[in-house]
Amino acid sequence: MSTENLSLKKLVPHSDAPWMSSIGRFVALIFVMILMTFLTRSPDQGFVFLNIDNLLNVVRNASILIIIGIGETIVLTAKDVDLSIGSIISLTGVVAAIMMNKMGLSIPVAILSGLIIGALLGLVNGLLITFVGLPPFIATYGMLWVLFGFAYLILQGAVVYGFPEAFRFMGNGRLFGIPMPIIVMAIVFVAAYLLLNHTTLGRRFFAAGANPEAAKMSGIKVNQTVIIAYVISGFLSALAGLVLIAYSNGADNIFGSSYLLPVMAVVVMGGTSLAGGQGSLTGTLIAALIMATINNGMNILAVPGTWQKLVVGTMIIGAVLLDLWIRKRK
Amino acid sequence: MDGSILISARNISKSFPGVRALDKVNLELRVGETHILLGENGAGKSTLIKILSGAYAPDEGEVYIDGQKVTDFNPGVAQRMGVSTIYQEFNLIPYMDVAQNIFIGRFPKKHGLIDHKKMHADAAEILNSLNMKVDTRSLIVDLGVAQQQMVEVAKALSIKSKMLIMDEPTSSLSERETEQLFATIHKLNSQGIGIIYISHRLQELQEVGDRVTVLRDGQFIACKAVNEVTVDDLVSMMVGHSVDEMFCRDYQPRGAEFLRVENLNGGKRLQNISINLHSGEIVGLSGLVGSGRTELARAIFGVDKYESGKIWLFGKEISDHSASIMVEKGVSLIPEDRKNQGLALILPVAENIVVASLGHLFPKFFVSKNKENEIAMKYVTELRIATPSTTRLTQYLSGGSQQKVVLAKWLCTKAKIFIFDEPTRGIDVGAKAEIHGFMNELVKEGAAVLMISSELPEIIGMSDRVYVMRSGKIVTELPHTEATQERIIEFAMGADEIKKNRKQAEMAKESSK
Amino acid sequence: MKSKTSSFLLKVPSAAWVILLMMIVCTVFSDKYLTLGNIVNIIQQNAVLLIVALGATLVLLSEGIDLSLGSVLTLSGVNCVIVMLYLSKLGASNGLAMILGVLAGLLTGALMGALTGGLIAIGKLPPFIASLGTMGIGAALALVFTDSSAIYIDNPVYVFFGQKLDRFINLSLLQYFSMPTFIAIVIFAIVWVILYHTSFGRYIIAIGGNEAGARLSGINTVYWKWMIYVLAGVLAAIGGIVLAARLQAADSSVGVGMEFDAIAAAILGGTSFVKGKGGIAGTILGVLVIGITRNGLNVVGIPSLWRPAITGSIIILAIVFEVVYSQWRERSK
Repeated sequence: MSTENLSLKKLVPHSDAPWMSSIGRFVALIFVMILMTFLTRSPDQGFVFLNIDNLLNVVRNASILIIIGIGETIVLTAKDVDLSIGSIISLTGVVAAIMMNKMGLSIPVAILSGLIIGALLGLVNGLLITFVGLPPFIATYGMLWVLFGFAYLILQGAVVYGFPEAFRFMGNGRLFGIPMPIIVMAIVFVAAYLLLNHTTLGRRFFAAGANPEAAKMSGIKVNQTVIIAYVISGFLSALAGLVLIAYSNGADNIFGSSYLLPVMAVVVMGGTSLAGGQGSLTGTLIAALIMATINNGMNILAVPGTWQKLVVGTMIIGAVLLDLWIRKRK
Repeated sequence: MDGSILISARNISKSFPGVRALDKVNLELRVGETHILLGENGAGKSTLIKILSGAYAPDEGEVYIDGQKVTDFNPGVAQRMGVSTIYQEFNLIPYMDVAQNIFIGRFPKKHGLIDHKKMHADAAEILNSLNMKVDTRSLIVDLGVAQQQMVEVAKALSIKSKMLIMDEPTSSLSERETEQLFATIHKLNSQGIGIIYISHRLQELQEVGDRVTVLRDGQFIACKAVNEVTVDDLVSMMVGHSVDEMFCRDYQPRGAEFLRVENLNGGKRLQNISINLHSGEIVGLSGLVGSGRTELARAIFGVDKYESGKIWLFGKEISDHSASIMVEKGVSLIPEDRKNQGLALILPVAENIVVASLGHLFPKFFVSKNKENEIAMKYVTELRIATPSTTRLTQYLSGGSQQKVVLAKWLCTKAKIFIFDEPTRGIDVGAKAEIHGFMNELVKEGAAVLMISSELPEIIGMSDRVYVMRSGKIVTELPHTEATQERIIEFAMGADEIKKNRKQAEMAKESSK
Repeated sequence: MKSKTSSFLLKVPSAAWVILLMMIVCTVFSDKYLTLGNIVNIIQQNAVLLIVALGATLVLLSEGIDLSLGSVLTLSGVNCVIVMLYLSKLGASNGLAMILGVLAGLLTGALMGALTGGLIAIGKLPPFIASLGTMGIGAALALVFTDSSAIYIDNPVYVFFGQKLDRFINLSLLQYFSMPTFIAIVIFAIVWVILYHTSFGRYIIAIGGNEAGARLSGINTVYWKWMIYVLAGVLAAIGGIVLAARLQAADSSVGVGMEFDAIAAAILGGTSFVKGKGGIAGTILGVLVIGITRNGLNVVGIPSLWRPAITGSIIILAIVFEVVYSQWRERSK
């Protein structure tokens, strides 16, 4: 006989069949794209939105969001949030920039260093959370400020610009006509999808996030698993940072700071649960495309940047509320 | 209506899915009496208490308070009508002081602000009336369990409760603290306050009870005055003959020693435990709730730390101890709280089944969903788990099927030692029999099973041997030929102690004649 | 056997050690550090932080978190100044404009707090994501309202509340007294009364310590949880209004990151993020740690490029120290 629990333990209800909601999100994407197509129709240029260059633009902008979003999705699946992503982007971008321009190191060294630094920073996050026991939002939010501070320090207030052609290819170049960021994103997506859904490590992520106590009692080393998740998030943030500086051909110390809110919005809209144990990479992908579409539409319509930020903030809250409401109805 | 009756429950019945918790039960509390509610685990005591305190609504039957029938009952209403309940998990706020906890929600005010002086004075008055020497300014978190309990009692008094329901109040108290609690109870009785007191401990009856009501399997057995029953009477009332359960045990010859625990100590919860487990046998671990059985299981499995003691696995002493090491070595624990500790409910059945075997099922790191589902399907068929597919989320399965998923998880690890903690609690009869059948198969194939259970028929029907625990110690080991319900309860409740003391007292009287 | 020294040591908050260490290090490196003027400086510069940190402490005591306090502070200051300027343009007197401006600012804080609190207490959203969202909205609104530039104000009645007193009366002694500090002390006293002498304050601790138990004891936990965020919003608003008075301008970048300092101050002051443990007395110490660190780096002459990184690192280390220290304290009991 199970005894009723008088306490207010609220379990965030989780949804069944994630693939079904992916279809729903895909439909939403199509809808948003159609909407934008018509909203941005200009009398002399026709359907500006559907211009192939514009569409590639949209996907390219979404790519950065997706790369970071993949890391955030993995971390949320295994445990909880990573709020330091913006600063890891900035710091690794800055370090790589300095290495290439001021220290004259080769491109592979710069790239590798950036990635390793990102991974190490993720490790620090993981250690603060598992061994010191800080709540994830405090640990990663604290890291956010510290790392921005270091980025500021290393850059010495200047802006670094003008990278070697070979490096810039990663941001500007095209392979078979497709912009490089999209290709990088595609590779990362496929690799992450395989990792999360088709490997033992991925299964451990889900187990640790869904019920850490049960996972521990099934013999899983939960702390180790959580740390790896944060390392991956740091690594992917670093990768995104490298692509970003390659694309914009410059680095200042805060260029990653505008990504936190959009990434959180996209991950939640994509169906990844904040409570752990449920992560949808496809959802994140589609949600990022939706957001990039909306951003692109707002840019074409020349909506001021500040209003765009307002839209993003509202989207997060709207997305979470909608998500909670849908789950409760099931 | 008789004016001296505080609360009366008549013909109370209550069912939960698959279980009839209470069947036409009666209980009556008189002014100034302490009425003990006695029964084994699962007899229905908790459910009855929750009905009396307004937390549950009965399916049938009525509750009368002060002669008035109660309708629209809930905990708030119950409190206003003078019923206070003290559960085992207190409703106290850790970092607030005693006086504030007593008057929470009803702080005395002066000019809109809390009147601390009055609050502390009133609190001190109540505590004094209970002979409690607790500084009203101490924080709850700094108090021991006994003192916290007193604060709960004081809280009840401060809202002028006429009756107090106490759920296993002495389970965490020392002997001296128990004595103090009894003194308090006597005092409350003398003020006319009635107390319903749930307990397992027979020795407490004499000291604090006026009448006792015995429940068994949700049935009302008897209500007697304490001085009109003997310990033996009570034991046989609690035990009786329950539902005919056929247990198919094929007793095997005992094989090699798989597990040996020596002198395990873990504070008060585990004192000098030594047990052993062999291939081919099911060893039952019996005892009351709180006797330390789950703590022992967790300590052996490596989830909880212990202070001292040695453990041998398959003849070799283990030096490093953790859950993941034990799992690797072939030990498994099927926990009591299967939803929170045994399963990840939001994950599909297949993932729950393979989660503990990832290393050896998929040595090359990659997981093929097909293979995962195939393996899971094998167990779903073998264990007859009721699920439309292996991709169904585990939360949608019935209790019995969920338990089978947990079992499947461990079968998948090819474990050799299985520790079951309350394997069939909350499960319907059909699934129960199936799980017993699986246990039988397991030991037939050479595994060793340690089974913690509070259902005596299950312990007796399934075990080769039975250990009985009480208050953190192993008090006896019985071969199944000697394990009867009476004997087990005697040891579990300390009746053997009572009898021994009584015999000693008698012998002392004899020799002084 | 616990010796008397170790019993004493157990009671010392970790922040005290950090402050002591920082002060020693700073004094070694600079003789300008341990002067009365500098100490007073530290206090005056962090008056606003204390006010906001009080709000963060209350939220933390209830086992919640509010990342939006920084942008609420900014937005409230902005709205206050905008309303004042508008009313002055319409011909209102300085005093009237100030009063209505301040009201506008307070209302902003209350509304933002109500939004955040509503999402958390009623919508049952996890606090960090709800407050992250409202932080974004608040920051965006501030940008929109100020058109991304600073707005200056010189309403003397208003500005008075942000300055050191020696600006108005030519007594050098008065340089040690600043209105923001006074205001901070008054607010501290008010919050103290609320926390320790009203039901509301007790409910904050109850919700943080045992929400289920509080519910079962008859407290309307949803409503009171909501109110905690409203109060925090109002406190942040007060901070923003005072800060704008001190700077004599409203700017959309002022409050950025202040929520981190505020939360860090609360944690360093010994307020735990679970169980309702801690209080606002410790928050003063926490604010001092942060203030001393920033000031110390300045006085010792650390190049400004290094300051954000070092400050952030010291704060994180101090937080780790506090967490580990309190765990050690628990075990030694």
